[in-house]
Amino acid sequence: MSNAQLEIQLIASLVAVACAIPGTFLVLRKMAMISDAISHSILPGIVVGFFITQDLNSPLLILLAALTGIITVVLVEYIQKTGLVKEDTAIGLVFPALFSIGVILIAKNANDVHLDVDAVLLGELAFAPFDRLLIAGTDVGPKSLWVVGTILLITLTLLILFFKELKVSTFDKGLAASLGFSPAIIHYGLMSVASVTTVGSFDAVGAILVVALMIAPAAAAYLLTTDLKKMLALAISFGIFSAIFGYWVAHWLDASIAGSITTVLGLVFLLVYLFAPSKGIIAVMYREKQQRTEVSLLTFLLHLKNHDEIEERHVNHLREHINWQKVRAKTVLDLAQKNNMIHIEKNIVSLTTKGDEFTSKAIDYIMTNEDAQIEDMKADFFLFRG
Amino acid sequence: MDITEYIKLVFTDYTLRTITLGTAILGAVTGMLGSFAVLRKQSLLGDAISHAALPGIAIAFLITGSKDSNTLLIGALISGLIGTFWIRGIVTKTHLKSDTALGLILSLFFGFGMLLLTFIQKQPDANQAGLDKYLFGQAATLVESDVWLMAIVTGLCLIVMLTFWKEFKILLFDADYTKTLGFNTRFIDILITTFIVLAIVLGLQTVGVVLMSAMLLAPAAAARQWTNSLSTMVFLAAIFGAFSGVLGTAISASQDNLSTGPVIVLVAGVFVMFSFIFSPSRGLLFKQIRFIKNRRDLELHKTLAFMHHIAETHEDISHPHTIKLLNNFQGYTRSTLQKLVDKDYVQLDGNMWSLTKTGFEAAANLYTKQSTEDE
Repeated sequence: MSNAQLEIQLIASLVAVACAIPGTFLVLRKMAMISDAISHSILPGIVVGFFITQDLNSPLLILLAALTGIITVVLVEYIQKTGLVKEDTAIGLVFPALFSIGVILIAKNANDVHLDVDAVLLGELAFAPFDRLLIAGTDVGPKSLWVVGTILLITLTLLILFFKELKVSTFDKGLAASLGFSPAIIHYGLMSVASVTTVGSFDAVGAILVVALMIAPAAAAYLLTTDLKKMLALAISFGIFSAIFGYWVAHWLDASIAGSITTVLGLVFLLVYLFAPSKGIIAVMYREKQQRTEVSLLTFLLHLKNHDEIEERHVNHLREHINWQKVRAKTVLDLAQKNNMIHIEKNIVSLTTKGDEFTSKAIDYIMTNEDAQIEDMKADFFLFRG
Repeated sequence: MDITEYIKLVFTDYTLRTITLGTAILGAVTGMLGSFAVLRKQSLLGDAISHAALPGIAIAFLITGSKDSNTLLIGALISGLIGTFWIRGIVTKTHLKSDTALGLILSLFFGFGMLLLTFIQKQPDANQAGLDKYLFGQAATLVESDVWLMAIVTGLCLIVMLTFWKEFKILLFDADYTKTLGFNTRFIDILITTFIVLAIVLGLQTVGVVLMSAMLLAPAAAARQWTNSLSTMVFLAAIFGAFSGVLGTAISASQDNLSTGPVIVLVAGVFVMFSFIFSPSRGLLFKQIRFIKNRRDLELHKTLAFMHHIAETHEDISHPHTIKLLNNFQGYTRSTLQKLVDKDYVQLDGNMWSLTKTGFEAAANLYTKQSTEDE
């Protein structure tokens, strides 16, 4: 592994961490799309800053672009407050307009500027090690490493200093306000961090990867835990893993690093989405199926309790009576038998004492609909779950 | 270039005619379908789908090796639809919210598309030049067959919309009720979504990925301000969209180095701003005017009530009082007093004022809300 490769992976990992932290809060605050909006609307800020300084890594440029990001947030909120359109429409109106202004500014001055939209949006991590920071003639590493490192340091400091405030204002705005820390300040603080992070990372990895690094790790982490600290830690690990693994995929395919990191992020999310223990798709579908079976079982038991007639309780009759498909009927029948709720004699089904008691309780619950009772029942009712 | 010369050029110059027609049709169809997206609170769906279409374009190229725009658009359509339904899956099956789902699909699909594009570029014999026009859009690459395609899709869209108009409308405003009425909501929903995706995919070539979402939103958001009726809104949005296309093309054609897509978006943005400010019932300007007028009325009423209060203490209600009396009263100004005189509620005589009979009655009725004459 060459020095440049190491540096690229280091930069990518630092960007991933710097993005995952504000990203987690954006996802929790239901403002994920604002990161996409910021990543596009900072373009005019970058262009104007570039015209002034002629240097893509100048702090002024980062400042101007971050300012444009905050202007975006303010504009979106202003439009939303007028009540003329909903929030998502406001976002969708603001950022393409600002982006258009940026594109036009570049196009009108394209002759003497080596700044093009592709570079801004897509970035090229592979070139990052070539742009070195020289202090008094000594090479101290790639510029973007320093830029991203500084931003990450600031983000981490702010996170540790204001963790409690962030936590409370994210989950309960009213409580935060009554405890005396202004939700507005936290909100704009978070937006500023998101904005600065986007700007600082765009040159290295491009706008789209910034958005992916902000949202995807946090979303995957959110499917695995609801504990804020664990979620932050998970999001950071997913980010770093994708950054490093994505780099090697790009190396192997000889393709865009940003593109392959995003693709790895996508695969990580897909895996979590499918297999997360309690909130993954498979778990959710399994649970839904189980609940359907449980409801069917209850219907079945109620039917038995209501009918003493032999012909109503014949195995074959039940199927057409309750209108189940063959497979489902068999599942329910087996389940009830396994739990000693029923016994079958010459194809005639009847309730056991246990089944009878249970059904009475269930009817009681349905009639009174008191939550306390179901809590009691759950223990005996859903035995067969585990 | 003056306007008549430009119009003449639109009719004679092939490229300009094609672009103008293309952007006009595109604006009309996105405006129409965008109305549904805006009303269904799916405004950012356009942004997500236009990004999600990219891997489809790349894969279609990888499979067929052709740059024919119809083939690529089919790829875009398929991956756009996959993205849309994955977004829906995330929202319905997990506790992630729609904004997270949108942002996820948008960035992940787009990143994957970029991976594929760079991969294609590295292929030795790939004639891939031009694929990136889908990223930023180049209206100049439109040819007549593209315009025909747009026109056909727009026509199809119109037919479907007219056929299912009632269903679309009811689904928009009360989805649960629609279900209880026995309509197949899922079918209608898929139909609308598919057409929205189709419109977005069509626009990719002209205005590009990023700006497509604005084309979907801006005309609809502008149209929404002028009307509360769905049919009028859809119609207006189509008009606004078409005009943005035509005007945007004209402006960008009249100058060097001015890309068409961004100009169209900015023109549409101007429509939105104009509508936000000047729409008669919802617009900010008239809202402000109404606000000021209401405050004036209130001040007038306050002054009148205060006078009534003073006049009550006298047997003769028209007993003159000095104006100085009113000076300590907040609602009083010279102009409110003059207004009361104009309404014949008050008579002025030098430094003295007195309530007229009508004025007294109006004031007495102020708080019983029976008087409607003073409106």
